[in-house]
Amino acid sequence: ENSPAPLPERAIYGFALFLGSWFGFILYLIWAYVPETWLFSLGLTYWPQKYWAVALPVYLLVAIGIGYILLFGINMMSTAPLNSTHTITDNYAKKQQQKKFQEEAIPALRDIPISEVNRMFFLPEK
Amino acid sequence: MEERRYRSAAGAPIALRCRQHSASCRELAVRCPRLQLRSLSAVTSAVWLAAYGLFVLSENSVVLSAAIFITLIGLIVYLHFVKIDQESLLVIGSLGIQVTSSYASGKESTTFIEIGQVKDVVINEAIHMQKVIYYLCILLQDPGDPQGVSEVVPLFQSSKPRLDCLIEVYKSCQEILEQRKTAPQSS
Repeated sequence: ENSPAPLPERAIYGFALFLGSWFGFILYLIWAYVPETWLFSLGLTYWPQKYWAVALPVYLLVAIGIGYILLFGINMMSTAPLNSTHTITDNYAKKQQQKKFQEEAIPALRDIPISEVNRMFFLPEK
Repeated sequence: MEERRYRSAAGAPIALRCRQHSASCRELAVRCPRLQLRSLSAVTSAVWLAAYGLFVLSENSVVLSAAIFITLIGLIVYLHFVKIDQESLLVIGSLGIQVTSSYASGKESTTFIEIGQVKDVVINEAIHMQKVIYYLCILLQDPGDPQGVSEVVPLFQSSKPRLDCLIEVYKSCQEILEQRKTAPQSS
């Protein structure tokens, strides 16, 4: 079925990707470093501007740096404020069904209301 | 009427004063730490040093008078709108709960919640600015659903007492709120 074991097809895919990535990297280096006149003399004229050989990596690194800050900010924005009911309950807890109490059986799992939890923690029973 | 010392969530010293006016009326007041002279001097010196640096760069003396003006106006705005001196909670068993905040300039802002709307006063914990804090809050009853909570009103937002102070306030409030269950009134 679906096992992560090495297979001949997977080895071929891996090798094809390996060759492809090396080819892409050598092509990028040629495009970035070889002067335009040499490329024109070979007949290869339809290349993007060399400006992009520097601009694209810079865009990528700046985007990664902003991504850290953006993720931090999104997390802070998604945190429920102190005055919201989401800190106390949610849809699943509101719609939960009350199961009947049976003798000598483990009580069913349920969301305990916050008033009950507070009484248990902070008001000691004498 | 005694005053007990506690600490806020940030570590600053606060004081809790509990007064019992009658069997069903209690007032709990938390006094926030006062404006420190050293932090006031530090902020003023920093603003004036920055203004002097700008003056040296730009040779324009308006920067200096603007800095003095900004410092004065900023201090007045801070004392009147931001710096809370005391937060108090007045629980009257059959009437309601009154929450008062007194600012450093003397301004007082009051909110009253009548007892019919109050479901319970609980200590809740929530995430606040990369910390998990305990805070006291009033749960308001949802008129349509007897088990539901329509709104959460957080209390003592500015002084943020720690759990030991909150437990004292919680026990005081619960003693009064229990009375409305044992002596049901027909409304």
